[in-house]
Amino acid sequence: MEGMAGQKSSLTWVVNISAFLLVLLWTIPTLGLFVSSFRDRDQIAASGWWQSFSAAEATGFVRTGTDADAVQVDGRYVIEGTVLEGEQDLVGWGIRAREPAAFAPGEMTEIEDGWQLTVNEDGSYRLVSDAPFEMRRGERIFTTTTVPPKFTTGNYQRVLTAEGLGRAFMNTLTVTIPATVIPILIAAFAAYALAWMEFPGRALLTAAVVGLLVVPLQVALIPLLRLHNELGIGKGYLGIWLAHTGFGLPLAIYLLRNYMVGLPREVIESARVDGATEFQIFRRIILPLSFPALASFAIFQFLWVWNDLLVATVFLGNTREQLVMTGVLRELMGSKGGEWEILATSAFISIAVPLIVFFAMQKYLVRGLLAGSVKGG
Amino acid sequence: MKQAMLATAAAAALLAGSAQAELVIEPGSDDRINWQSLEDFKAAHGDLAGQEFTVLGPWLGPDQELFTSVIAYFEEATGATVNYSGSDSFEQQIVIDSEAGSPPDVAIFPQPGLAADLARKGHLKPLGEETAAWLAENYAAGESWAALSSYAGADGQTQLFAFPYKADLKSLVWYVPENFEDAGYEVPETYEDLKALTEQIAADGETPWCIGLGSGGATGWPATDWVEDLVLRLHSPEDYDAWATNDLPFNDPKIVAAIEEFGWYAKNPDFAAGGPGAVSATDFRDSPKGLFDSPPACYMHRQASFIPSFFPDGVVMGEDADFFYFPAPADGSKGQPVMGSGTLFAVLSDNPGARAFIEFLKVPAAHEIWMTQTGFLTAYTGVNAEAYGDPTLAKMGEILTNATTFRFDGSDLMPGAIGAGAFWTGMVDFVGGKSAQEVADAIQQTWATLN
Repeated sequence: MEGMAGQKSSLTWVVNISAFLLVLLWTIPTLGLFVSSFRDRDQIAASGWWQSFSAAEATGFVRTGTDADAVQVDGRYVIEGTVLEGEQDLVGWGIRAREPAAFAPGEMTEIEDGWQLTVNEDGSYRLVSDAPFEMRRGERIFTTTTVPPKFTTGNYQRVLTAEGLGRAFMNTLTVTIPATVIPILIAAFAAYALAWMEFPGRALLTAAVVGLLVVPLQVALIPLLRLHNELGIGKGYLGIWLAHTGFGLPLAIYLLRNYMVGLPREVIESARVDGATEFQIFRRIILPLSFPALASFAIFQFLWVWNDLLVATVFLGNTREQLVMTGVLRELMGSKGGEWEILATSAFISIAVPLIVFFAMQKYLVRGLLAGSVKGG
Repeated sequence: MKQAMLATAAAAALLAGSAQAELVIEPGSDDRINWQSLEDFKAAHGDLAGQEFTVLGPWLGPDQELFTSVIAYFEEATGATVNYSGSDSFEQQIVIDSEAGSPPDVAIFPQPGLAADLARKGHLKPLGEETAAWLAENYAAGESWAALSSYAGADGQTQLFAFPYKADLKSLVWYVPENFEDAGYEVPETYEDLKALTEQIAADGETPWCIGLGSGGATGWPATDWVEDLVLRLHSPEDYDAWATNDLPFNDPKIVAAIEEFGWYAKNPDFAAGGPGAVSATDFRDSPKGLFDSPPACYMHRQASFIPSFFPDGVVMGEDADFFYFPAPADGSKGQPVMGSGTLFAVLSDNPGARAFIEFLKVPAAHEIWMTQTGFLTAYTGVNAEAYGDPTLAKMGEILTNATTFRFDGSDLMPGAIGAGAFWTGMVDFVGGKSAQEVADAIQQTWATLN
């Protein structure tokens, strides 16, 4: 018996470790996105987020001053300045793009026309000439530097102060809350009827609802919007609530019906024997018992509506007054996209509210999973 | 909490209010702008107070700000209110909205193919003969522009349905002038010189080109621009037009030759930075950054006029980076073909404000106000070329107005399944190792199934 127990415990360890590793693996992309949201555009283009914690070697160039910056010292013309900014360390420098690190700090080289250029370790450079400089733009000094890890909150600042974000936040809430509540209300009634009320065609109706699950909502966009226009609803909040309700109902009914079917028949039948009406059974018994299922569907629907862009642009419109959060964040990306730092930052900002909702309702989700697992509770 | 929410809403309302109707340039102040033309427009259309209409377009972010700065002058002149909204899924949205019966009053099409589709279904309102004649007369290569905006309507009759405003130039090669100077390279004047320079740079042990085809779901499109530019340089404009309508099949030897010519650049590991593998894997937005590496990853990058917005921070145009015209063959047989794209304004409703807005686009000041800012090119010859805000734009404007042939981006003229589908993926396959003939055959086969 002891051997058996030992075996079991080592197996548990294996399970635990692999679960831990899987979780780690699963969260790596999120971590990467999180790190990226604190880096600026050029950093993201230059190196991966996993390289951002160590000092990086960077190449670049700085222009010297031009004639206007030259001063005369002992009859010679001198331009001085620095090639470093911030906390960079100079590794090497050069004057041609092909050999960006031809010289070590402190060395001197001669450029055309007898100009002498020195770049010191502290980044200061000195360009000396006997004759006045005649150049229309500064000479390029190529530098190879090591840069300590650098993170910025600039992306967050940019996204949070974006024009119209506050308005869009309210718009999203205005869309999301009714679009979550309405389908739950309707679906709970429908699910009860499909689960516990006897009427002809019930099985067919259930099958039809399941069938609707596979219809992609994209095919319904044009007909539905046309219907709204013809009914005079047009584009607006009422339209988008109805649309989200319609698109959410099949899954809601299916989930709730399956959950309600699993409730103990005895409870419902004894209520019937005691003379309860269908509505009383629904309200007093089914609804409280189904709370975990309602909560988990609410989370699903809330997340989906919160993150939705397609349905919102179609049924609500695109003007400043109507734009939802996802719309504003997309606008920040510009016409050609490709701004990774804004994408990453937006993801973390828009995730905040769904996270709150999830953690607030998560205990119901867990309770829902555990319901019925312990007898006599 | 409720108070906080109200405060947020109030602040948002304030912001929305202040975003409207601020004139970026005080009328009469900048003498490069033809203010008289704006006054004349005001005299003719100043009676639209209270009118309101919507404009839907593809511009977001900075482009949107620039466009709304122009709209402000229209609002000021007419008293009408214009609600512009931008969408990055414009192509889908305009179809949904017009099919469902709630179209915007004015739509800004980035692609003529889409406008032609909607015109055929009867969603666009014809702009009339006058405007067509005006375009032919006042735009450089005006006949090309008018032809581009004329489609068959629902009744089968070909009419002008759109008004081109704002052009992009595609036949450009970007480079770093000082890298050229240091290495002793000259800006090529002819197509033959360009090829010789490519070989010379490779012989020097360097990499001549940065080519990046990556673009998410649209991966491959930069290669279609390459092939189109090469078709215009190897063959006649008539062949190009026939190719765009499939009168010249995609697998015609002429087109195959152009694809192979692109392969000469992109499939040679010595010519393209990172070799052919990197060509399709590199994002087009990251590709030009190779020009500014030290040592340089490449010396030249062929891309449209918008690309400087993806150069690294701090790059000064004209100093750190510059461009030259993707040159034409030396014998002059092909003239100076220029490929570009443009946005087309179409009217979808009977709103009088929307009509007036198209008239507004004929006003020189409507072009000049955007020209003095940034990111705007126009083929309108009646504007003051000095109004361009920076020398780079002025140089592009010159290329555009000197064009002997202007051709619109061919892939935008082709049906969506080809120009925004098979052509893209075909080019990725081609760079990935398939032969030009195989790829062209496959694209032609797809096209044949459409007809």
